[in-house]
Amino acid sequence: MTERVNFTTREIGSLAKPVWLVKATNGRPLEKGDVEHAQKWGGKLGVENYDELMDVLQKPEGFTSPEKARIQDYAALYGIRLLERTGLDVVYDGEQRRSEMYDHSVRHAKGFETRGTVRAFDNKYYTKAAVTEKPLVEGAYDVEEYRFVRMHTDRVVKVPFTGAYTIVDWSYDEHYAKDGALFGAAQKRAESRRAFGADAARDVVRPNVAGVVEAGARWVQVDEPAATTRPEEVPLVVETFNATREGIDARFSMHICFSDYSCLFPHVEGLDDCYELQLEFSNRDLKDVGRRAEDRPGYGVLEKFAKSSWDGKVGLGVVDIHTDFVEPPELVRDRILYASEVLGPERVEVNTDCGLRTRTWEVSFEKLRNMVEGTRLAEAALNGS
Amino acid sequence: MPEVKAYAPGIYARSEELVRATRDLDRGRTSEEAVEKQRAEDLRRFIDAQREVGLDYLSDGLLDWQDIFRPFGEGAEGLEPGPLTRFLATNTFFRTPAVTAEAPRLREPLGEPFFRIGELPRNGWVATLPSPHAMAVWAAGEVDPKALAEGVIGPQIRWLAGNGCAMVVLQETALFGGGMDVRPIRDAIRALKSPLPLALQLPFGDAGDVLGELVEIEVDAIGVDFYATDPKALPRPFPKTLLAGVVDAQNSLLEDPEELKRFGRKILEGLGGKLHLVPNGDLQFVPEVIARKKILRLGEAARALREG
Repeated sequence: MTERVNFTTREIGSLAKPVWLVKATNGRPLEKGDVEHAQKWGGKLGVENYDELMDVLQKPEGFTSPEKARIQDYAALYGIRLLERTGLDVVYDGEQRRSEMYDHSVRHAKGFETRGTVRAFDNKYYTKAAVTEKPLVEGAYDVEEYRFVRMHTDRVVKVPFTGAYTIVDWSYDEHYAKDGALFGAAQKRAESRRAFGADAARDVVRPNVAGVVEAGARWVQVDEPAATTRPEEVPLVVETFNATREGIDARFSMHICFSDYSCLFPHVEGLDDCYELQLEFSNRDLKDVGRRAEDRPGYGVLEKFAKSSWDGKVGLGVVDIHTDFVEPPELVRDRILYASEVLGPERVEVNTDCGLRTRTWEVSFEKLRNMVEGTRLAEAALNGS
Repeated sequence: MPEVKAYAPGIYARSEELVRATRDLDRGRTSEEAVEKQRAEDLRRFIDAQREVGLDYLSDGLLDWQDIFRPFGEGAEGLEPGPLTRFLATNTFFRTPAVTAEAPRLREPLGEPFFRIGELPRNGWVATLPSPHAMAVWAAGEVDPKALAEGVIGPQIRWLAGNGCAMVVLQETALFGGGMDVRPIRDAIRALKSPLPLALQLPFGDAGDVLGELVEIEVDAIGVDFYATDPKALPRPFPKTLLAGVVDAQNSLLEDPEELKRFGRKILEGLGGKLHLVPNGDLQFVPEVIARKKILRLGEAARALREG
């Protein structure tokens, strides 16, 4: 008898932060609609004791540190419940306590200094730091965040961490590259980035991961959105992943998005015990149902994964995080069935393209619920039930 | 001594004040007028910095441009702003020009606010535009680079020529990765029929593989990022003006003018042509306070190099 197919479903990491969290922690006064948001979603998600949050939010400004901490706890709890209520098998807290993936990491490390604001696009900006000395963290800083999640869910928990290569790529370098970058540019630059990568993996990311695993985490997701920024540096991505996971007893996976995945080959074959690559695909796919290759152009690169000797799983991005278009379950189903045809269903799991932080909770909820429903349809099709 | 010049083309950084103003505008907390006032102040400071250090061509910093393609995506029949896409080399996003017609046409050339030229010296300023080839490669949908050259970028260059622009830097962001065919770019450049000197700049990447072929293209200057390209890859003598990207617009580390001067001297050995010192790409990728310091050092280096 053949084994029944069961895919696991998950979000990648971030959800939007509710405005009541943002305003309360930034010292801005809450408005009536902000509190109503907390009320509405507390009820919809069945968040336990959310009346306590409503009491805190009545203030509506000048929150004390303990009150802000309580509001953060509730935001994390809302995040967990939102993911659970959509039916996901694997959850976290929507990264409600983290400022932003890069900032969260470098803020906790020595050796980085903020340099100012640069534009991501349009009138959206981010704060960028420079590495100014050999960076390091003195201990794990996400342990309490993890413990809170673990305590408040019985689902499988996957903990996201910003990867070392992305920290390297998104930082200015005033330390490793300070000596004469113009002369012998390419080689010097490669050497300095390699040294930065090794230090970031060993002394910035790994201590935090090790601490969270020691606290009980069993699944570590290394986020490397910058992985293929420079195709010639993909081997460095692999090196930093391996250095991060070295000697740590947990499942490790890596998330990459909005990238040219063909650059990953053949280097991914050097990944040490990488359970899965969670990848974005639907952003580049068509929106109509269909299971033929021409219906699913966004997933064309899966052929390369099928041919590679790297035989880990592919976390299949089936939900676009850049649009409010809610993928119908049948579209999700067909994306999964196409990938299952190419890779074999045993190599496929199901996730969003990336974190849903730019979508409203309403849209995120609908997208995730349909993702789960579509996954169950795909299982039914494959199991003949 | 061959001609040595320095200038800062491309999209310039927004000050922290302008960042705050534009953010506030998006959140409904300030007015268009307040943002405009701050933008004018940013422009004044940028021009003052360029003048102070004696840059040879001034730039208006394209402070209104949301990305290098956007004004054309919005201003041409047959194009529209498409999906948000990542420029991998800079980890920033742009809206791909989405193609809705075979031969897009600029409705009318971009003037104010996209080119704020009131304070710029006639025949003494530099403009930056997307290369039609890069625009076609990054577009959503099929479009011939020649069609973009003829219908969109070419008319804009002719407007620039009539408004005191001295030269145009075309940003070519789609020529990396090896095995690239430069014929489409050659044909598109020809189709521009430019009355102004053209520079084709390859920002933020190793141009070593294509330099040998690029020198055959009908432009006056080629721009090379020397933080990614080995100077040994430069054909010598170099038959074009070299726009040497010697100020790193992707790093906050400030360049030492003495080192820039030494590097300039090394590049000049056997170059045979003119040397123009520039940043290796848009200075918008560093905070404005750092960008301004980099401009000052760029100008200092050019002056020192000229003085021997």
